[in-house]
Amino acid sequence: MTDVDLLGRPLASVEQQVLELYEKTKALAARDDLPPCLARNLGRVLACLWQVTNDLDLQFEQTYDLGV
Amino acid sequence: MITACSDIPYWNPKNETMPRAALRALQLAKLGRLCEWAAARSPFHRRRFAAARFTPAQLRTLDDIRRIPIMTREEWMESQAEAPPYGDLLAASPTNAIRYHITSGSSGRTPIRVLDSTRDWEWGAEMWGYALWATGIRPTDVVYFAFGYGSFIGFWGAHYGCEKIGALVIPGGAQSTANRVRQIVETGATTVLTTPTYALRLAQEAAELGVDLARQSRVDKLIVSGEPGGSIASVKRRLEAAWGARCLDVAGMTEIGTVVMYECAERPGGMHVIEDNVLEETLHPETGEPVGYEERAERVVTSFGRGFIPLIRYRTRDMVVKVPHTRCTCGRNTDIYAGGILGRWDDMKLVRGTNVYQRSVEQIVREYDAIDEFQIRLWRKDDLRDEITVRVEVKAEREPEWEGLRESLAAALGAAHEGLRFDVEAVPRGSLPRFELKAKRLVDERGATAPRGSDREEP
Repeated sequence: MTDVDLLGRPLASVEQQVLELYEKTKALAARDDLPPCLARNLGRVLACLWQVTNDLDLQFEQTYDLGV
Repeated sequence: MITACSDIPYWNPKNETMPRAALRALQLAKLGRLCEWAAARSPFHRRRFAAARFTPAQLRTLDDIRRIPIMTREEWMESQAEAPPYGDLLAASPTNAIRYHITSGSSGRTPIRVLDSTRDWEWGAEMWGYALWATGIRPTDVVYFAFGYGSFIGFWGAHYGCEKIGALVIPGGAQSTANRVRQIVETGATTVLTTPTYALRLAQEAAELGVDLARQSRVDKLIVSGEPGGSIASVKRRLEAAWGARCLDVAGMTEIGTVVMYECAERPGGMHVIEDNVLEETLHPETGEPVGYEERAERVVTSFGRGFIPLIRYRTRDMVVKVPHTRCTCGRNTDIYAGGILGRWDDMKLVRGTNVYQRSVEQIVREYDAIDEFQIRLWRKDDLRDEITVRVEVKAEREPEWEGLRESLAAALGAAHEGLRFDVEAVPRGSLPRFELKAKRLVDERGATAPRGSDREEP
């Protein structure tokens, strides 16, 4: 996991924590053995975390292959 | 605590206050990734990039964006027609979508169909978060939506943006104007979101019901969008007097999926662009060359949001004048469109050699408090001479003023249009169309042929 943002600036502690949450959620959302309640709600959580990490310039990637 | 942030003036302080150079670097980083995505996944963009011999690796500075061909609505429509219903612009399977919306179709053309994934929809609401937080909406607000909640995207994103802010949302869809007036008062709404035209209509209805919105409602913010009226000084004054509230303008596009500019609470005389999420170029409408600050130009927009339908260098036809962020005292780093969206380059009408825009006529008509509604009619006399008539509905109690009003209005319109002669006529109250969205007050009955003796063609 990166320790700088899109502009190469070091991440603040809260930014690192948010990015970790995003990466963990992405990994969970990629699994194909989840029940609907988990898969669909994780998708919504991932969409929110994508938004936060986008706001903070921590990543700029697409999530459509995860169905999000 | 979630509500503790209410005192922070910016939705996203990091990006809204970073130095301009960093903001430009962020735009370049996002542009490169967006183009890589579009080249890999959208047949529409892959084809156009190849025709222009463009590869994302060529993007070394923001100026390199000019290597990418301009994208037009016509190309998008052709793509939809050839491969219905969505064309080959999509960069992901439609099975990822959770929302379908269309453009308003107010121009009479086939609507554009758009899709949003869960993430795209989240992003659309986020842009409204930027905009509505800047207007002053906070979690303690009660926000009423005077909006029909149909297939047109309209205020859908604003609804979710307000939920995201934590405000109490009251969806006022599918009911009469009178009921909406009553609900606004009864629910203690502090903010109303609607079009400027419908905000005026609500005020008229309230007056007929004997409701004084300025005294009997709690509304202190009127957020308008969908038409230029919110940035027209005379319309804004009239709305603020009728509602006893501050009127603020915001603007977006269905093609982008959300709002992209807003008037902040400092009201700098224009709208800030959400530049960490969209890249707005201002170009000469004919040559395509970049146009500097303070000059009239056409907006060409690249969106860093909805990746489902990559929107890269999309020609809007919107007429704007960009001014630097320093024009505003709010501290945001984002540039401003002075006066909002000034009109559309393709909406200009030529009448006996003079340019006429609906917005400029409205600006003058709305100075006359005695006029409730109006319509501009362009017609041809004896198949020879173009004429322009402004039809007005005069308030019942103001009818005795009609003769003086007619002369004054005709003179003011002529003075603002190089001496062009305007006919002004009164029509029965209630005879002109009312609008909830995208008011169309200009009717051109002249047909396609140019008048005899004309040495200029209709644009």
